[in-house]
Amino acid sequence: MNKIMNLLKMGWTILSKPAVHLSLGFLTISGFIAGVIFWGGFNTAMELTNTEEFCTSCHEMNDNVFMELQSTIHYSNRSGVRAICSDCHVPHNWTDKIARKMQASKEVWGKIFGTIDTREKFEAHRLRLAQNEWTRLKANDSLECRNCHEFDSMDFTRQSKRAAAQHSSALAAGEKTCIDCHKGIAHKLPNMDGVREGGSPH
Amino acid sequence: MKLTRRDVIKAQAAATAAAVAGISLPASASNIITSSTANKLTWSKAPCRFCGTGCGISVATKDGKVVATHGDEKAPVNKGLSCVKGYFLSKIMYGKDRLTTPMLRKKDGVYNKEGEFTPVSWDEAFDIMEVKFKKALKEKGPTGVGMFGSGQWTVQEGYAAVKLMKAGFLSNNIDPNARHCMASAVGGFMRTFGIDEPMGCYDDMEAADAFVLWGSNMAEMHPILWTRIADRRLSNPHVKVAVLSTYEHRSFDLADIPAVFTPQTDMVLLNAIANYIIESGSVNHDFVNKHVNFREGVTDIGYGLRPTHELQKKAKNPNSGASTPIDLDAFAKFVKPYTFEYAEKMSGVPARNIEKIAKLYADPNTKVMSLWTMGVNQHTRGVWTNNLLYNIHLLTGKISEPGNSPFSLTGQPSACGTAREVGTFSHRLPADMVVKNPKHRAIAEKIWKIPAGILNGTPGAHAVKQVRDLKDSKINAYWIQVNNNLQAGPNINEEILPGYRNPDNFIVTSDAYPTVTAEASDLILPTAMWVEKEGVYGNAERRTQAWYQLVNAPGDARSDMWQVVEFSKRFTTDEVWPAEVLAANPEFKGKTLYEVLYKNGNVNQFPIGDISSDYENQESKDFGFYIQKGLFEEYASFGRGHAHDLADYDTYHQVRGLRWPVVDGKETKWRFKEGSDPYVKEGADFQFYGHKDNKAIVFALPYEPPAESPDEEFDMWLSTGRVLEHWHSGSMTQRVPELYKAFPNAVCFMHPEDAKKRGMRRGDEVKVISRRGEIKTRIETRGRNKPPVGLVFVPWFDASQLINKVTLDATCPLSKQTDYKKCAVKIEKV
Amino acid sequence: MKTLVNKAAKHAFSLAMATVLSISAMSVSNTAFANEKVVDNAPEMATLRGTAPLNAEVTPPAMSKVENNDLKRQRDYPQQPPTIPHDISKYQLDKNFNKCMDCHSRKFADEAQAPAVSVTHYMNRDGDFLGEMSPRRYFCTQCHVHQLESEPLVENEFVDMEKIIRKAHERSK
Repeated sequence: MNKIMNLLKMGWTILSKPAVHLSLGFLTISGFIAGVIFWGGFNTAMELTNTEEFCTSCHEMNDNVFMELQSTIHYSNRSGVRAICSDCHVPHNWTDKIARKMQASKEVWGKIFGTIDTREKFEAHRLRLAQNEWTRLKANDSLECRNCHEFDSMDFTRQSKRAAAQHSSALAAGEKTCIDCHKGIAHKLPNMDGVREGGSPH
Repeated sequence: MKLTRRDVIKAQAAATAAAVAGISLPASASNIITSSTANKLTWSKAPCRFCGTGCGISVATKDGKVVATHGDEKAPVNKGLSCVKGYFLSKIMYGKDRLTTPMLRKKDGVYNKEGEFTPVSWDEAFDIMEVKFKKALKEKGPTGVGMFGSGQWTVQEGYAAVKLMKAGFLSNNIDPNARHCMASAVGGFMRTFGIDEPMGCYDDMEAADAFVLWGSNMAEMHPILWTRIADRRLSNPHVKVAVLSTYEHRSFDLADIPAVFTPQTDMVLLNAIANYIIESGSVNHDFVNKHVNFREGVTDIGYGLRPTHELQKKAKNPNSGASTPIDLDAFAKFVKPYTFEYAEKMSGVPARNIEKIAKLYADPNTKVMSLWTMGVNQHTRGVWTNNLLYNIHLLTGKISEPGNSPFSLTGQPSACGTAREVGTFSHRLPADMVVKNPKHRAIAEKIWKIPAGILNGTPGAHAVKQVRDLKDSKINAYWIQVNNNLQAGPNINEEILPGYRNPDNFIVTSDAYPTVTAEASDLILPTAMWVEKEGVYGNAERRTQAWYQLVNAPGDARSDMWQVVEFSKRFTTDEVWPAEVLAANPEFKGKTLYEVLYKNGNVNQFPIGDISSDYENQESKDFGFYIQKGLFEEYASFGRGHAHDLADYDTYHQVRGLRWPVVDGKETKWRFKEGSDPYVKEGADFQFYGHKDNKAIVFALPYEPPAESPDEEFDMWLSTGRVLEHWHSGSMTQRVPELYKAFPNAVCFMHPEDAKKRGMRRGDEVKVISRRGEIKTRIETRGRNKPPVGLVFVPWFDASQLINKVTLDATCPLSKQTDYKKCAVKIEKV
Repeated sequence: MKTLVNKAAKHAFSLAMATVLSISAMSVSNTAFANEKVVDNAPEMATLRGTAPLNAEVTPPAMSKVENNDLKRQRDYPQQPPTIPHDISKYQLDKNFNKCMDCHSRKFADEAQAPAVSVTHYMNRDGDFLGEMSPRRYFCTQCHVHQLESEPLVENEFVDMEKIIRKAHERSK
């Protein structure tokens, strides 16, 4: 967070000072440089908000979703290739990323007002939060899953029989997308009452 | 053509089967046999022989073999369900290495402590036992012999053993492994109520609005009771489940209020709840005034270690259970420092969660059932913690009514029926009586028809002390039945193994399989198990259940009861009773203990003709009378008319158990409550008749630290326990392939951060090391148990990883029950 | 009674005297803790520890994988709950969600091609059939367990009733 503040401060200092003693050429060149710095800074700052350290720096994420992630295959597995929060929850192309980040500003309010600052409050909101993600992934055909799990690269013979059967039929035909079956693979599911009949307790 | 998943699997299965078998299936295999005689199975009832739940099991036999088992639909406890262990009961008797003949360590044809196990006849086995027991009795007197039994003994087996030891050898050195399991619960009951065992019953589970688990993992250890709680919780959204433990486990999957606390601070939480009940004005004054006394207990009572141990020397009042009367105001003052903030600081449980649990108890409209077992009992303040649990139920009057129930769950199938009710403890006699009390001894002498004044009034050595006495050569002849103490007992390296292998000692183990205890013995007796004999078990809700012998034991294996009674023939009164007693009672002179104890007119009063013609009964045929019935009826005469009434023996073969006291053929669901318990006087409403003034006691008792806590070198807590798929030391369940393959080896459950800190990962081979010993195991950072940072959990079912080499033999100083749930260890990579 | 001994002895003998060959190969790391008075060099008996001396520590076997081949296994008797022929380690099974029923529910049998839970699972304590699976059966793993790729230590000689019935049938012919 401090890094971001410093970058913003630096940018503001440059912008707010009047150009009294400087040549136009200098201003043009330095303006270009400043632009590069600003652009780079902006993206650097945004990338910083994409790191696992940033995401888990507040206890809401660390104690709930990150804790749950650690026992799953997306955190620890045979080959050591693992996902961090942003791999699944932040779109990879720039425009969508900015849109998602703007949405995320709402989450800052949540942090300030302590909407999910206890486990109980988090549990109370879990269904809504999860549904947001499911809706997003359903709409983009599970794009963040597919960033790593390419359908064309799947070797069905190396999958378990159940997985191969589903992937070669429903997924291949486009009837289903990843998130339809793979809910709750990285975090615990909320009470699924009314969401899916099969395993719901009531 | 679209290939379905089923097609793929079917094809694969056929191919695999063919490849494995290498032959095509014979045509006859597909013919179904329809003949009614060939097809018919004989179904009988028997209680499950694993945990204290006491499920009814339907057992199918065919041509002398058990061929199927499942939950009995008619059994009120489980109504057709059974856990995975219960379903596989069919296979526990058929492990290939069943012991079928006695085996004695021999060298050059004679007994030698360093010899090799050699098959011998029962005669030869009893010959050497006789010599060794007589020698010990002659040299050391009654304290020179000892017996270690079990809550898995049938009522008759335990009763026969008590008679041989206490009335025959005049030795109180008999104790059950229930000492490791339920002794603190007994202590808690006797102290608070003056009478043992729960006042409520399992019916509470369909009536309660809230369940609070105190250090119990019912989902794995009492699975069928957990199905009743899950049923209640999931069917009724208003019902709440709180689960308190020192690590997260499967019971947390149903928890509305989860709470992981620092070991030993359950005492702080309980006092904080008592404080909240008082401060929020939730005390049921009407109930408290009429039915409750207050007392303050003596503190700083030590840790049940050897008297030479530093911690023991430091204690001001070692082993003291003394207390002085106080009143509610004094009690309120005593618990006042136990605020939620203090409790949060001590336990690590957020105050808001403690408050939620406290409110369940405080709200008069919420019926609460508290449930606990080993977390509370295996505790260096086990009796105290039992007392503190009753405190919160007594302050609110939430007791002895449907759904309001402090319920002490039981570990073993007959810890209640045999260990506690029969009184196979070193200080007890049947029906809650004790050897110390001369009146109680006189009652026993009369029922047993033995000379007045002959019984020994000094309590004998309890489980942990027996082992210390073996090591110190004070007990020299020792008989172990139905348990595997070398795996189950604490501090194996420093106490048990040296005790068993002490050259001065002769150790006999009766078991069905070659356990590590058998291996450390000098003589092994092959033993019949479960439905290979007739017997009675008593479960946690006071339900007494009987079964017939359904199949014969293999080879020469015989039941524990047969072994005890047969061995009694080897002794005469002249050899074991004081001469002056015999001089005063000449009619006993020259008689065998068999004649005096079992052919005494009581035990042998029922003829063989009374046995159901549908069933075998090898022992009775051997002795010439219906011995199981005789032993039961003599035993039952202790409790009839004294609030421990049992029905007549034959009734138990007809019904799916009855909850005592059984008066006028009617069982009792809730004791101490008018209208439900026939022993409560009219108009009393409640009557805690275990105490003379008919009142229960609320005890003021503080938090005291555990015997050993993590420090810089030994930086982790160790908790041990069971897993769902295995019963105790695994001697039966590890021999069932399906159960073995479900959980083949013990692992060290650890928090991922703790593993990371030590550069370890899942599957790494590690040493778990304490000041007493070490084992090698593997790290598990996932799976069913999720310990917090700073604690590891290692199950003890695995004979190849004897975790009790690591545990500490600290006990509750009052109950003498070991604390297996906390000691300090370090984990090192191998 | 006394004459039974010899016959049974043969069988017991075979397991009684395990050799001590393996002892030297094992690390006896624990001797530091053993009491001086203890003599544990007597021949061991084959227990579930194999022939490892009681005061020695053996290398624990590597963690096994879960059998995950989806092949149905034969049951020992009709009432036996089937063991789980696949990996369930990633399944959620708590009061919020039961992953097992995502496939084994009657409603998804066609889609998942997994065996739907049997009719007994719909019965409540009183034996009445409910419209949905009874909550008392909610936690599947109390009766159904996965199987690891570990070879059992001891053979089990349980006899399938089918064999006994067939024998009885042959006799009656």
